[in-house]
Amino acid sequence: MNLILNGVVANRGEGPGDWSVLADGIFSEGIHLVSGDVGSGKTTLAQVLAGLLVPASGTVARDGIMSVMLSFQFPEYQVTGLTVREECESWGVDPGDVLAAIRLSGRDAHSPLKLSRGELKRLHLACLLSHTYDLLILDEPFSSLDCSEKERVCQQLSERTTGITILFTHEQQTFPRVDYIWEIVNGQLVCRGRVPDALLSWQHAPELVRNLLAAGKCPENIAPGDLVGAACRT
Amino acid sequence: MIALRSLRYRHLAIDALDIPPGLTSVIGPNGSGKTTLLRLCTGIDLPESGSVLIGDRSPRDAEIGWVNEFPDRNILFETVMDEVASPLRFRSVSCTETGDRVERCLELCGIRHLQDRSIRELSGGEKILVAVAAALVHTPSVLILDECDSHLDAARTAALGQLIKRSGTEYVIQCTQQMEVAAQSDQVVYLDEGTVRLSGSPREVFSRLSGTPFYPLSWRCRA
Repeated sequence: MNLILNGVVANRGEGPGDWSVLADGIFSEGIHLVSGDVGSGKTTLAQVLAGLLVPASGTVARDGIMSVMLSFQFPEYQVTGLTVREECESWGVDPGDVLAAIRLSGRDAHSPLKLSRGELKRLHLACLLSHTYDLLILDEPFSSLDCSEKERVCQQLSERTTGITILFTHEQQTFPRVDYIWEIVNGQLVCRGRVPDALLSWQHAPELVRNLLAAGKCPENIAPGDLVGAACRT
Repeated sequence: MIALRSLRYRHLAIDALDIPPGLTSVIGPNGSGKTTLLRLCTGIDLPESGSVLIGDRSPRDAEIGWVNEFPDRNILFETVMDEVASPLRFRSVSCTETGDRVERCLELCGIRHLQDRSIRELSGGEKILVAVAAALVHTPSVLILDECDSHLDAARTAALGQLIKRSGTEYVIQCTQQMEVAAQSDQVVYLDEGTVRLSGSPREVFSRLSGTPFYPLSWRCRA
């Protein structure tokens, strides 16, 4: 199973503040982290990979991928139910089970848009992650989640053993264990390779990872436990 | 000092909280009342009972800059220039002074190159920077940021911290889910289930959160 990018160009205009991203490469099975600055084109590239946008040039080919899901950065754009219950049902999941898991029991009759931003993100991700997909693309999945929820979602993502999972994020603290690191640098998507080797050339590495590397303590991966483990290593 | 007394609003119940000048970070689980607290401090919402006083004034009588957590809800106008100029135009500031102040503010926020862009076409992070510029352009005494760092990368989060310092705003209250950011504040307030559980210096508050996901990861790594 592969997602193959061949000379893909995604862009936004040609004036000041506009940008263009050139993307080549193959996303194979596993968890891929794509980092990049604000305005570097992460969201647009995510939508191109999901097939929601047509690239300005180049091709995105799916090999063996039968199901695709994109989680938007702003979950309010993906809401279809008038109540929390309807929203769960629209994803084909049991509201009781999902709401209990994310500590929103008793909120069934509320409008999803009246939830706090973090609560809505929790609801959205819980519904979405109740299913399996060959290609799962998550655009800033951790924004607005509290620290406990970030760790819970990361744990859930780390347990995905099949399919291609691509995380687009500028998160700097809480990550799942990932297989590959990519980043957008100077308008180009660059694959840094497999973790942990990829950490050495990762320009958007969080400060904590950079500090650990500078101290000669290369973590095995970037999940909180890996970083604490590396820090405690003598 | 910003003083909250016997405050009741929806599920928020705060008997007494003092927010000193400087940078205050409000942290806590989703749904704990952080945004509600911030909206009461701006005067957007009024308490059902109790009071919020900024010095001796109510929030609605104070100059306050507010950045919403939903970037699209900050925006009233089409272009970056018009959006940032709007707080001054609403106050009937002269065109010349408005132009000068907007220019300085765009420069301060690092978005001068976007001034003629349609805001709708910007990324989430860029929209936040526009909203911050619009909140700062009328030099408020209180700047309130509702988790806007969740849309910013590390470099821009650091730059935002620097520009807030340079702005000289007397009170800055932000809610954040980035504990590394909160650890750099002058004061931290930890909310849970609508109540202030902890408040004080980062060291005082985080020492009580040791062993929870709210304890900064870098502190875990140096322990």
